[in-house]
Amino acid sequence: MPRKKAFILIIAAVITAVLFCACTKAAEQISSLSQLREKGTVIAVSTNTPESKQIIKDFPDAVIESYTDIYPAYQEVASGKITAVISQRTGMQKAIENGVSGVRLLEENYRENVIAVGLSRKSDIPDLKRKINKFLQELRDDGTLDDMYERWVMQKDYTMPDIPEAEAPKQTLTVATTGTAEPFTFYVGNELSGYDIELAKRFAAWLGARLEFKVYDWGGLLSATQAGDADCIMSNLYYEPEYEETTDFSDPLFTLEITAMVRDKGYGAKTDPFWQSLRSSFRRTFITEKRWRLFVSGIGTTLLITGMSILLGTLLGFAVFTACRKGNRTANAVTRFSVWLVQGMPAVVLLMLLYYVVFGSVKIPGVAVAIIGFTLICGASVYERMKAGVSAVDIGQTEAAYSLGYTERQAFYKVVLPQAMPFIIPPFKGDITALLKGTSVVGYIAVQDLTKMADIVRSRTYEAFFPLIAVAVIYLILEVLFNFIVDRLEPAFYPKRRDPDDILKGVQQK
Amino acid sequence: MIELVHLEKKYENSTPLKDVSTIINDGDVISVIGPSGTGKSTLLRCINMLERPTGGQILLDGVDITAPGYDVTQARRRMGMVFQSFNLFGHLTVIENLMAAPVDILGRTKQEAYETGVELLKRVGLEGREFRYPDQLSGGQKQRVAIARTLAMDPEIILLDEPTSALDPAMVGEVQSVIRDLAGSGKTMMIVTHEMSFARAICNRVFFMDQGGIYEDGTPDQIFDSPERELTRRFVRKLRVLELFIENAKYDYISADKEIDIYCLKNNIPARTKYRIRLTMEEIVQQLLLPQGDILPVRILVEYSGEEEKTTVTISYSGAGFDPADGENKLAYDTLKKTVADISYKYDSEAELPNSVTVLI
Repeated sequence: MPRKKAFILIIAAVITAVLFCACTKAAEQISSLSQLREKGTVIAVSTNTPESKQIIKDFPDAVIESYTDIYPAYQEVASGKITAVISQRTGMQKAIENGVSGVRLLEENYRENVIAVGLSRKSDIPDLKRKINKFLQELRDDGTLDDMYERWVMQKDYTMPDIPEAEAPKQTLTVATTGTAEPFTFYVGNELSGYDIELAKRFAAWLGARLEFKVYDWGGLLSATQAGDADCIMSNLYYEPEYEETTDFSDPLFTLEITAMVRDKGYGAKTDPFWQSLRSSFRRTFITEKRWRLFVSGIGTTLLITGMSILLGTLLGFAVFTACRKGNRTANAVTRFSVWLVQGMPAVVLLMLLYYVVFGSVKIPGVAVAIIGFTLICGASVYERMKAGVSAVDIGQTEAAYSLGYTERQAFYKVVLPQAMPFIIPPFKGDITALLKGTSVVGYIAVQDLTKMADIVRSRTYEAFFPLIAVAVIYLILEVLFNFIVDRLEPAFYPKRRDPDDILKGVQQK
Repeated sequence: MIELVHLEKKYENSTPLKDVSTIINDGDVISVIGPSGTGKSTLLRCINMLERPTGGQILLDGVDITAPGYDVTQARRRMGMVFQSFNLFGHLTVIENLMAAPVDILGRTKQEAYETGVELLKRVGLEGREFRYPDQLSGGQKQRVAIARTLAMDPEIILLDEPTSALDPAMVGEVQSVIRDLAGSGKTMMIVTHEMSFARAICNRVFFMDQGGIYEDGTPDQIFDSPERELTRRFVRKLRVLELFIENAKYDYISADKEIDIYCLKNNIPARTKYRIRLTMEEIVQQLLLPQGDILPVRILVEYSGEEEKTTVTISYSGAGFDPADGENKLAYDTLKKTVADISYKYDSEAELPNSVTVLI
């Protein structure tokens, strides 16, 4: 007990020291972009944005940090870990209004980005580029485009107007978006909303097409249109000449101001008491806009993928093991190669290969690809576990069965397998936990699992701490749940744990 | 009836069975004995097709069970096998071990199998242990359960592969008495064993195995009391043999002495006996024979029987008849005579080395 107390004290001391260092780091107020040129400044930018490329030339002495999702960097500017974030003025403005404190935006603009719609060259919709430009021209002419910009970006009026859906649509418009760029594409509750979403709805109605959204990371957008998984990208996409090698662009929608967010030196330390800020974090993470529904749907997806993969993977592993058991040379060679292939590469690479290459030209939902991918992973490990388990059973058991007249098949199922189970189950339990955790990478193939949902929530609350802790806790609970289920099933696989009364069921004992 | 026809089992590096042909009659109780590594277990495992022979045939009542299309499970159902390491099914209780095969293979009802099982447990003296798991039993109990499991299938032939070798000496007796009981039941049995007196007591026929086959086949009295062949004799008498040759007068006495040393050490021969073997060498060979000349080559054969703690040294040599007792060095002869039990001389003009002196130590 005293040792435990001492341990907690040490941890507390370390945390305090880190916070103290972070807070007392000297910094002068930055009021112009030129001040960022000094050596030692740290600048955060969004990956693959035009500014991220220009910045390297303009600020050669600065350390540039690239973020896939920029919002966690805001807090780090406030704490002084990062000198500045260079990003869209509107997005950062919105973050400050939503509660990011201790930061401010510079007056001057760093540059302006042209925003357009990205278009797939493999789209099923003929003449897509001409159509969207015609549509945009109509919208520009009747003032709708300006009105949309005014409402979403300037007024922050987040009411989605009622746009009638196409009646009896003959085609589908698949729109790739990120859902993490307020006010253009973001989640209200578990519904997508924003400027780009409205635009997509209007375009689908104009085309007379059914509308379908697919949510990707920033990095996944271009691969999606390139592979033909989506017809177009509506996600506050910057026009970049180099993207034109693989993707077409519509006429510009509007231009965005890019500026820097820096630490506001005049702002004092947060005065919120700990519990109060925790409560407000909880409210913003779960209650506001019914965000708990995002978590619930994320848990559902994670459970679906994990559960199905375990089920199908176990069947697959068992089937493959049975096929290879008698030592057919070809079957064994094929299996060894496949197992090597599946186990040798990171799960995320396997998933992306399946999604973009193997099923690249087939319309198949990401969840199905995730289940296929993890079924392969689970199957490979079940196969290996069975191989190890079965070889751990003494050969004498098989010989004894043979000598009694059992066939090879009977000997395996009645004598060897039941005795191999105690060697298979414990490592299999570990595999299940690993699989559950492993599914957290499915966000890469546009599946919105628990981890991805936490990302989405973080992009709205501008908070890293609470949603991450929540997700960690949920994963731990799910692990306990899976282990509980396996524990319930376990006695069925341990013949020695049977109820002694069941052993001679149906026999009249003397 | 089992007929072995030119049976051969070859592994990559060894051939334990070169050419085995014999007939095993119904009701035969056969002990298979012989030095280790001579294919005793391999023979049993081939008969049960746990090892597939690489040549020859096994005819079970005239049917070749080694034939390619033959369903070996049919043959195995008629033969029971008892293993050295018991091989009880570890995940099943004692009674389930006995019930499994009759239910799964013979299609008996559980009730029938249970009743037979209880009966058999009583027969091997293990009533009341039905619900123990194998790892809760002693070695002797496990082997008795294994025998009962074999009997539950009511086999015509029972093969026992060193059934008591893995047991504590204290448990050997209980298993042997079960086997003895079985031997009297009229079933055909083959038992590989190292327990000579036990083998002799229960069987009506003995296979002595060596040199890749059945080296000598006979009744227990023949094999144990008056074996016809040399290797059998050495084996049943538990003879440990050392053979030395002297081909010229300047032979290496030191290294011969060393060989005797190693031989005595290996076979746990008492120091007193070792001293006498040396003395025999010294007095007969060095003092009496070598000065005589014209007796080369000389063969020295030392035989030590662990069973009877008896040692004989036989020295054979060529040349005209010469009894060392008539040699010039009387003192040497008398010194030896006083120390050992007996010295005898024989002259056989037919033999390759006609003179032979046998010293009983």
